[in-house]
Amino acid sequence: MDQTVTEENLQQICAKLSDTEVAVNNELDLILSRYCHVEAKLQNISKVLPNLTIIHSEADKLGEMITFTNRLAENVSAKVRRLDLARSRVSECQNRVHDVLDLQLCSQGVATALRNEDYEQGAAHVHRYLSMDRQLLERTAQDVSGDHTSISSSLVTLQQAAHQLRTVITHKFDEAVKDEDLASVERFFKIFPLLGMHNEGLSKFCQYLCTKLQETAQKNLKAALDAKQTDKRASVIYADTMTLLFEGIARVIEIHQPIIETFYGPGKLLPTVVILQKECDRQIKKIIREFMVHRNVSKKVHAINELLRKQSADKIDPKDLDLLLGEITIMHSRAELYIRFLRRRISNDLEIGVANIDQRKDQLQEFELYIGKSELAHAMQELLGAYLALERYFLEESVNKAVGMDTLDQDQQTSSMLDDVFFIVRKCVRRAISSWSVDGVCAVVNMACGILEGEFASQLRSRLRQGYPAGYLDLAQAYNALQTSIQHGRLQASDTELARLMFLAYLNNTDVSIEHVETLTKSLGEEIATAFPNMREKERGKFDSCLAGLRGVTSTLRAVVDYGLEQLRASAVKPRVTPWVDSFLSLNHHINEDELLGYETEEPFVQTLVMNLEGLLQVFKGGLTPSNYDALIGILTAEVTARFEKVVLKSTFNRAGGLVLDKEIRALAGYLAAATSWSVRDKFARLTQIATVLSVEKVEELADYCGADAVAWRLTPAEVRRIASLRTDLRPEDIKRLKL
Amino acid sequence: MEDYKFLFKVVLVGNAGVGKTCLVRRFTQGLFPPGQGATIGVDFMIKTVEVENEKVKLQIWDTAGQERFRSITQSYYRSAHALILVYDISCQPTFDCLPDWLREIEEYASNKVLRILVGNKIDREDREIPTHVGEDFAQRHSMYFLETSAKEAENVERLFMEIAAELMEQARSKELPRYETNATSINGKTTSIGDSSNCSCSRLT
Repeated sequence: MDQTVTEENLQQICAKLSDTEVAVNNELDLILSRYCHVEAKLQNISKVLPNLTIIHSEADKLGEMITFTNRLAENVSAKVRRLDLARSRVSECQNRVHDVLDLQLCSQGVATALRNEDYEQGAAHVHRYLSMDRQLLERTAQDVSGDHTSISSSLVTLQQAAHQLRTVITHKFDEAVKDEDLASVERFFKIFPLLGMHNEGLSKFCQYLCTKLQETAQKNLKAALDAKQTDKRASVIYADTMTLLFEGIARVIEIHQPIIETFYGPGKLLPTVVILQKECDRQIKKIIREFMVHRNVSKKVHAINELLRKQSADKIDPKDLDLLLGEITIMHSRAELYIRFLRRRISNDLEIGVANIDQRKDQLQEFELYIGKSELAHAMQELLGAYLALERYFLEESVNKAVGMDTLDQDQQTSSMLDDVFFIVRKCVRRAISSWSVDGVCAVVNMACGILEGEFASQLRSRLRQGYPAGYLDLAQAYNALQTSIQHGRLQASDTELARLMFLAYLNNTDVSIEHVETLTKSLGEEIATAFPNMREKERGKFDSCLAGLRGVTSTLRAVVDYGLEQLRASAVKPRVTPWVDSFLSLNHHINEDELLGYETEEPFVQTLVMNLEGLLQVFKGGLTPSNYDALIGILTAEVTARFEKVVLKSTFNRAGGLVLDKEIRALAGYLAAATSWSVRDKFARLTQIATVLSVEKVEELADYCGADAVAWRLTPAEVRRIASLRTDLRPEDIKRLKL
Repeated sequence: MEDYKFLFKVVLVGNAGVGKTCLVRRFTQGLFPPGQGATIGVDFMIKTVEVENEKVKLQIWDTAGQERFRSITQSYYRSAHALILVYDISCQPTFDCLPDWLREIEEYASNKVLRILVGNKIDREDREIPTHVGEDFAQRHSMYFLETSAKEAENVERLFMEIAAELMEQARSKELPRYETNATSINGKTTSIGDSSNCSCSRLT
């Protein structure tokens, strides 16, 4: 109400005040109306108040009761706990009594068993004794020391019995081994683990198996040495002996692994194999020694190395090495097979026996290391070394022989050396694959590359270097002469004829050998993939690299083909084509309308040229492989067009002459295009365009031909002007004025 | 399609135990594995390096030094672009065998092969062959020379990088048509290595 009271708002203020009054009245009414209600509540409260004291005292009582119960419960549980302890002690005690009873039983049993020689029973008793907590037993013995029970004496008895049994079993086992009593050997072998002698048992048993292996192996080796030369398997007798040894060991493992697993637990194959491998190594060494001596391997390798150094007359016939090479690869592959068998078996055994993956890996690694250092691996490396030295000689000498005995059949495009060489190369690599040695295969592939790129390629090249002798004036004539001489049964063709045929054959040899190398690489890749199904990354890399090297031989061979074709061009194509094309110069190219008609029907120049070319090609058509023949036509086309261009530029024409030329060039291009599967259009481009220039009606037409948009136009403006000026009927001023 | 412009084959030879495998491992994997077993036959590793902004793939063939692997290892000489002949500076016999190795190289390798003499194990204190003796030998037989330590990673990177650079230089100056296998010259021998057409290189013959 802080407004200043004025006349004007007096009314307003009054209204406001009365409003406020009404509101206050209302509020007061509301409060009054609640009075009754509040009064009632207060009365209620005063009525309930005494109850509260009762509740309080009751709650106190409850609390006391709970505390009491709690104490009681604790007391009870402590008793229970004590009871439990007592019960467990009783049970332990029971166990101990059991053990003690068993101990006594065992000690008595052992004695009886020993007396009765029932070693299984005895060992079972000892096993029971060994499974007891020995320290506890000893303490028990001390605890009851006052009482003269038989516990300590039982312990002593059992200890003695165990010791005695161990000695007896060992002794009995040795005796059984000596008596070759297999049943007893196996019987005692099963007892060892009961006596806690796992390692001793395994090692003793394996030693026994080793002696068995040794006997068989010696017998086999002796049989091999005594085998007659006429024996069917005489040539592979050492490989057979080795195979028998491996098979023997594999069989031993096959038979005894289940027994070992049952009585000694899984995961024991690795130590078993380690012991057996020692015997294997000893026997392999013996076999290899005999093999080396009786097959003269070292002597042969030595002789071959000598031969490679200095060419001597008395060479070893590669054929004589064939059987030996075969035997070595068999030996190597058998050893590889055997190692794969061991690896597989051990890895399976470890999978069951060793839960930890890292440990498993370690053990496998241990096996790899062991086998890698073994005498067997060493022997395999020696074998491979000898094999490669011999195979290299075989490959080189056989290829040399094939090249030396090269013959050419009249109806063949290639000579015998081609197929022979590739047959030998394939045979050698295949033999290497059969050895199952990655390095061996790679080495032989490398050798094959060497010989193909070296000796083989240089043979091809040197024959082609002698060139294609063009003795006859006309090649068709030469060919006919040869044909008649063959028909008349005079097989000895003259030197020139023979040289010519040989040249073509070698050109074909080279061409076909490119194909052969490609096929060989592909098929060897497939064969290798089949022979080595589980190649590791690195091994695959080795193969790929070596095979890529083999494929690379094709580029050397392609260079030789190019060289041969160049020779052919120089001696057979160029000298013949030049005079044929040059005859164009002696012709008149200023033709009147009447003559033009005659030319249109006859085309005398080009008909003769085509006939000559046909004659030339005919000689080669049957004699060259399709791709060489195509290449020859390519060379011929290049030669003809180049020469033709030269002679055209030396001639002069009128329009009719130009038209005739244009027609003749089309006919020539048509003929050559029909002769080959390759396109010759490109080679004729310039020539056709020259003819176009020479056959224009008016100089102005030229501008259309060689305008900027003519992409395929090959002639420069200067050349166009020069060619146009050959037309005597065109005015030089017009040509000069021409804007190109 | 692998992305490299040149592929070179490098072959390491030398007596057993001079550290060929360690040199290769050091270069390709940056490791020095002590107590390495003897190499069996041949092993190979690949490393692509960059020389003058060009990718160069080195195919490194690590051969076994022992006599009985000779027939395997010899077969790799022919196609090698570079031969690294290794000896152990702390072991006179490995140096004494060098002439035998050279004879073998003469016999089997291409005569234009890049030859490098490497004296390894310079971390050893019991040196038997002074640097200048190795140098002399290399010079007499026109070989490159370098002393290395695979253990301390000394000069190993340099050895292979210089080989890569030198081989690239040779390849560039020798043969022009490097990319098309069928565009070979008649007199020059051009062999492409590698399986894709755009990554071949010339042989140094």
